[in-house]
Amino acid sequence: MIIYIGAEELISPLGKSVEENFSAASAGKTGIALYPQAGFKGVNVHLSTIKDLERSFAFENLVETILDSVCNRIDPVILQSPKTLVVISSTKGGLYDSISDPFGNLMERLTRLFKLAHTPLVISNACISGVLAINVAGNLVKSGHYNHVVVIGCDVVSDFVLYGFQSLFAVSDAPCAPFDAGRSGVTLGEGCSAVVVSRDMSIFKNEVFKLGIGSSANDANHISGPSRTGEGLYRSVQKTLESNGVIADNIDYISAHGTGTIYNDEMESIAFDRLGLTHAPLNSLKGFFGHTLGAAGILETAMSMQMMRNGTLLKSMGYKACGTSVNLNVITENQIGSVQTILKTASGFGGGNASLLIQKL
Amino acid sequence: MNGKLVAQYDPSSTDGWLKQLYKGFQLNYPKFYKMDPLAQAGYLSSELIKANHPDRLLNYKDDAIALVLANRHASVVSDLAFKNSYEIQNAPSPSLFVYTLPNIVLGEVAIANKWYGENMFAVLPKFAPEFYEQYADILLNSGSEAVLAGWLDITDSEIEVFMFLLEKSFSEIKFNTVNLLKLAENRVV
Repeated sequence: MIIYIGAEELISPLGKSVEENFSAASAGKTGIALYPQAGFKGVNVHLSTIKDLERSFAFENLVETILDSVCNRIDPVILQSPKTLVVISSTKGGLYDSISDPFGNLMERLTRLFKLAHTPLVISNACISGVLAINVAGNLVKSGHYNHVVVIGCDVVSDFVLYGFQSLFAVSDAPCAPFDAGRSGVTLGEGCSAVVVSRDMSIFKNEVFKLGIGSSANDANHISGPSRTGEGLYRSVQKTLESNGVIADNIDYISAHGTGTIYNDEMESIAFDRLGLTHAPLNSLKGFFGHTLGAAGILETAMSMQMMRNGTLLKSMGYKACGTSVNLNVITENQIGSVQTILKTASGFGGGNASLLIQKL
Repeated sequence: MNGKLVAQYDPSSTDGWLKQLYKGFQLNYPKFYKMDPLAQAGYLSSELIKANHPDRLLNYKDDAIALVLANRHASVVSDLAFKNSYEIQNAPSPSLFVYTLPNIVLGEVAIANKWYGENMFAVLPKFAPEFYEQYADILLNSGSEAVLAGWLDITDSEIEVFMFLLEKSFSEIKFNTVNLLKLAENRVV
């Protein structure tokens, strides 16, 4: 059975639709800007935040807005079907308004407003949440539990998360520069992105792709530091390739996690080397959007699908010179060309790693 | 455990309930003291299940045991503690911040056991047997041999922990939503 994925949508500082986002990123724009004195103790920080976003209930409002626009990209009738599920991917949810129950409000509001047959399933697995959520969606459809799953990833910038990353000395003093020799940490971002996973091609209004459901693997090494050998990422991608009958040579593009921290990007380069994937054109989209945490896996998958539609691979914003012990094929200028199979990966706190494939039909 | 009372809260102790359990079962894993209550509860309950099935769990390949945990309140205890560290104490604490994600407990259990398998943490409005049934069914049909699953909901006022082991090749109780709900309601940990 083919599992289809399509109807991608994205709200970020670069645009209110996925098309606006793709066209801004293609033109070399970034959502990252300097916020004087916004950090703890008035430190200047770079962030990627959505202008004019009302902070109260921003998380809930973004998810509702995107679910509305996803309905314009599919047959909207399926949303209320008992065979449809909404999956939410987020790390901190509605922390701003309700720190003691950050997801309860959204679950209740979505179910009521959209007359959903099931309460949305919230997946909260740090930075791999998005990729994991798409895989969960694929599995729930493949197993027949549901026919359609709408997957939405969202996280908003907060003092809470910013101060936390600052306390770990993990925030970059310049816009993040994934895989670059001069990289010095993450730039936090916010965004909301969605994709639809289904067993039925006819619900989609535009071209769809094939989802190659992937695996997750824990590093079993450290809760906040990446494995030095890339063991979990290696195992995750290895299993994802194997279960989909794809070999490393078939990968035309890697949408890497690439946070811009010294250790994460180094870990990824080691894992990709072990996997025989250093040939594949690769980028991290965090130079355009910052690290959007629970939204990142969905946002980056959505942008990868746009790259397939448009036949253009985006440059890895912020990258100038190789800064990992293994040389990767990091994209330095937008590249025109046809892409058949892409690999999306993610790694995060808690030692999680996840990966998936998107293929042209 | 499995319907038997194996420990009882001692209100006269200066230790909290989780620490009482750690000491009572004579566990030796000093990292336990660094963990937040959510991770402590996950570590303790996984150790208790291991102690009850010592041979079987050791015989699985290092990536054959999947972890599936869920709760309602995510990482609320650590979230409030971290917020307090920057709002009240004016010094955001990195050791509290790293526990402000509910999936950290998965990492702690994986590290304690060197398990490289599938991991998932979900937030649900309440304990939902059908969630575990659906997802365990998927995992057991896609490479995992066993699933250590549970509900770990911890707030400042309440600790609610229900952990269970699902295995492909062994079955003491048939796994279905009815039996799972029955066990949960009887508070059989």
